[in-house]
Amino acid sequence: MDEMIIFGLITSSGSAKSHAMEAIQHAKGGQFDQAKVSLESAEKDLAEAHKIQTGLIQSEAKGDAVEVSILLIHAQDHLMNAIMLKDLAREFVDLYEKVGS
Amino acid sequence: MKDIMLVCSAGMSTSMLVVKMEKAAQAKGIEVNIFAVSEGEAKNHYDKIGALLLGPQVRYLKSKMDKALQPFGVPVDVINSIHYGTLNGEAVLDAALALME
Repeated sequence: MDEMIIFGLITSSGSAKSHAMEAIQHAKGGQFDQAKVSLESAEKDLAEAHKIQTGLIQSEAKGDAVEVSILLIHAQDHLMNAIMLKDLAREFVDLYEKVGS
Repeated sequence: MKDIMLVCSAGMSTSMLVVKMEKAAQAKGIEVNIFAVSEGEAKNHYDKIGALLLGPQVRYLKSKMDKALQPFGVPVDVINSIHYGTLNGEAVLDAALALME
């Protein structure tokens, strides 16, 4: 398994997580437009991560077994974390907006 | 030469980057101590380091870290996503050295 592919997954997932956290921070400070921009950036990074993930799944389905390493598992952790945080960040931004208005 | 500390969520993926940075430092003949820690452990090292680099997955900690490290006069920066994703140890090392100048 190419560690560069796995690192790509970690980096896009990780960056998505950061954008999601930044969205919450912006919303907390009342900057809702910026919060929404951060949420969009999180979506973009997740789309990239998803593309890498799909590539891995497809190569496995084709019979090119993906070697499962701790690093790959770690990358999956990052991805799962980022997806969940992005969904929650959206809720938090909505909530801050509602409470603030 | 002071130490360079890398911080990410668990300190795992970043420790792979540390290995690449150490190799780059060796090739350049630079003596520098580089290590990776998790977010929680970072505060135990503030007084002993020359620079702090954040992984893209914890970019949202930048303002918090800036504040925490200011009394120690330690510069903080976020690792470039492309350098991180491609495990470009040399580029990250150069960025860290420039930060410490």
